[in-house]
Amino acid sequence: MMNKLNYVHVKSFVGSMGHGSRFSKEPLVAEGIFINSSSYINAATVLSTEGLKKSFDGQEVLKDVNIDLQRGEIVLLRGDNGSGKTTLLNTLTGNLEPDAGTINIYANGTDEHFRFPRKWYHNLNPFDHFTPERVSREGIGRTWQEVRLFPTLNLQDNIALSYPGQKGEGPFCALIRSFKEQEKRNLNISRERLEKLGLKGREKSSADMISLGQSKRTAIGMALQAGAKILFLDEPLAGLDEAGIRDIIEQLKLIASEKQITLVIVEHIFNMPAILEIATKVWTLKNGKITIETPAQVKEEIQLTNGFRMLEWIKQVGGCEDNPVAVEERLPGGAILKKFALSGKTAGPIVLEVKDLVVHRGKRLVIGEKLPGGDIKGVSFKLCEGELALLEAPNGWGKTTLFEALAGLIPIDQGVIHFYDQDIEAMPSWERVRKGIRFLQARKNIFPGLTVKEMLRLTKDEALISSFPEIAHKKGSDLSGGERQKLSALSLLKDRNLRLGLLDEPFSALDKDGIQLFLDNIKTKLRDAVFFIALPYIKNDKRRIA
Amino acid sequence: MNYILHLLIYFNIYAIIAISLNMVVGYTNLLSLAHAGYYAIGCYTYALVTIKLNMGFLPALVLAVFIAALMSLAISLPAWRFKGDFFVLVSLSVQVFLYSLFYNWVSSDSGIDTIGTLKNLTNGPYGIPGIPKPSILSIKFDSIGMIFILSSVLLGICLVISWNLLKSPWGRLLKGIRDDELLARNIGKNVRLAKIQVIAIACGMASAAGTVYASYISYIDPSSASLDDSILFLCMVLVGGVGNFRGPIVGAAVLLLIPEMLRFLSIPDSIAANVRLLLYGLLLVLVVRLRPQGIAGEYRVE
Repeated sequence: MMNKLNYVHVKSFVGSMGHGSRFSKEPLVAEGIFINSSSYINAATVLSTEGLKKSFDGQEVLKDVNIDLQRGEIVLLRGDNGSGKTTLLNTLTGNLEPDAGTINIYANGTDEHFRFPRKWYHNLNPFDHFTPERVSREGIGRTWQEVRLFPTLNLQDNIALSYPGQKGEGPFCALIRSFKEQEKRNLNISRERLEKLGLKGREKSSADMISLGQSKRTAIGMALQAGAKILFLDEPLAGLDEAGIRDIIEQLKLIASEKQITLVIVEHIFNMPAILEIATKVWTLKNGKITIETPAQVKEEIQLTNGFRMLEWIKQVGGCEDNPVAVEERLPGGAILKKFALSGKTAGPIVLEVKDLVVHRGKRLVIGEKLPGGDIKGVSFKLCEGELALLEAPNGWGKTTLFEALAGLIPIDQGVIHFYDQDIEAMPSWERVRKGIRFLQARKNIFPGLTVKEMLRLTKDEALISSFPEIAHKKGSDLSGGERQKLSALSLLKDRNLRLGLLDEPFSALDKDGIQLFLDNIKTKLRDAVFFIALPYIKNDKRRIA
Repeated sequence: MNYILHLLIYFNIYAIIAISLNMVVGYTNLLSLAHAGYYAIGCYTYALVTIKLNMGFLPALVLAVFIAALMSLAISLPAWRFKGDFFVLVSLSVQVFLYSLFYNWVSSDSGIDTIGTLKNLTNGPYGIPGIPKPSILSIKFDSIGMIFILSSVLLGICLVISWNLLKSPWGRLLKGIRDDELLARNIGKNVRLAKIQVIAIACGMASAAGTVYASYISYIDPSSASLDDSILFLCMVLVGGVGNFRGPIVGAAVLLLIPEMLRFLSIPDSIAANVRLLLYGLLLVLVVRLRPQGIAGEYRVE
């Protein structure tokens, strides 16, 4: 419809892939024109690459990536930690320049070819750079794993700002105020878009005051408002609770079917089943190459190999046949604290006791509950030796804040923290580490400017260097999400002095092997240490808890 | 009365500068230390074209704004790549360059009549005396009252310009770039062009303030381009607060009035200058400690 047929794309590499594209074997009457018996002109291709290569410091991350993306497809992009998913995403969205290969974009009805390596004279032309803004104008949008909005603008302005080609974005038009009509239309579209995303009534909310799920939906809305025909989503479900996941999946289904937006989704193994429900194709990135699989195949594979259940694991560790005994406590704000007595020990001495804890972030009350009278009731709980505690709380409950307060990174406003009968609420964080309280942060848990070797020396974990032979000389900023998590987790778990491990969503970003390694290490430590693990709240979870 | 008018003229000039610097600091989060340099470009352009070319105030103003906007590329092009502390250093080097340009463009054997030639453009440390009072369409602004009116009108125009610019999709774009440049680029925004635009407009405005200053004082020397002045301007926006319209104006008033108070304390001049610097420092420390967003600001400079 919109797509002018002024360009024809001959799919020349389909045969070499080993897996034919799903569409190539079907008649393409509606989508393409048949020219001869061996090749198709396929007008529905929105993005294709040939022989894409990218290496960092001599290490080839992408070796020979050939993809062919059709309009309306929903693709799940998967791969082990460090396999280059993020690199591929960054390359296709213009944030990274590949070393070699071709990227063809037909998303916007025009055809754009970028050939790499680029000749020096290409870069002299200021309008012909391979940059995110250029690629975005060709109809490619993206979202990030972390929340990325304009925090000082409200939601409506976030969306309205994304609208391309605004007259009022030139200072001259802004000065003579000749943008009013366009701006009015833009604001109307933005409001409608927010309404469709289920954010009606939040137009004037500041972007840094909304929940994680709302942020993720707004980010999708911004990419669409910017004119994305192909949307790359980096872990859109990460950190979301069940309701949040359902919302996002509904939205994605809607934009793919109604607007024929093509989706490429990178997702963590936990959330893959949800994506597989809507995916039409799976790209598996391995050894720098992409293989194409069907969602059905992958579903089966995940079921076979991803038998991981936290409860199963606890059962196994506890050596009991039945479900392990769990004590459930409800904390204010809808969080659940589950405590499992492990290794036969029943309630040893109290390791951690928290009484009436209240923490503010700025002016916002995060930990604690406001009572009708105006008093604030704090959070209280205790953990005993030989226990494993899971904290399941909805997004925005303040899991991270609680852990930061326990680790001494932020001050508390009220309450008592006992650690082996000692008051530690006034103790600085480094003293607490010496006492054996270690905190594994969900993000920012490495030193980006140091190499892995230097980091491990700094944390006095020289012995671990041999566990990371291939990344020992890499800088922290070059590590993939999974590698970072593995590194910081092992550094914590190998601490001889460890008495209390505070693990904030430790399994995100890890692949199957990573999780197994992590759990094995926890298991060996259970004798001496108590673990307090925060997980996103998932009601009736069939995927993780039970 | 003249003293009050004198203060008000200074306030107008400082307010224009603070408003213009607010556009850079508050809306793109780039701390520029080169603003006094661009202010001095306005002073010198006005002095030279009125003395040498007998231009009226308006053409001189337009020329001064244009030259400063063009020269602003010296800080806006590096701003494509440099952020934070590195941008401060880049702007500092531009500041030093402009100051030494004004200070050293002089030849030893030249007299006062060679000012404005290629050999002796700025007359170096001796400065340019005898700058004519402004005149627009046969209206002579030769009294202090008239200069006050002129500076107030210019302040009004600058206020309207910056209000119109910042309360528009362009202002929204700037805020977006300030918040997250990578995100702005990924939704297809030309971040570089926007930075060039805002820095050119701000430098042009500072230059306009410079023309009023030169015409009021009738004498100009390189000290108006000094680093001290750049720091003073930056203090105004940081103390007053950035990201809105009240902040810079409050800042300009506060930093103007505090040293004036010393005048009434009968402190010897040689000490007063140092006490003034001391007060600036104290004020900045207090603001950063107690109210990081500035007295009347809404955005916190990181």
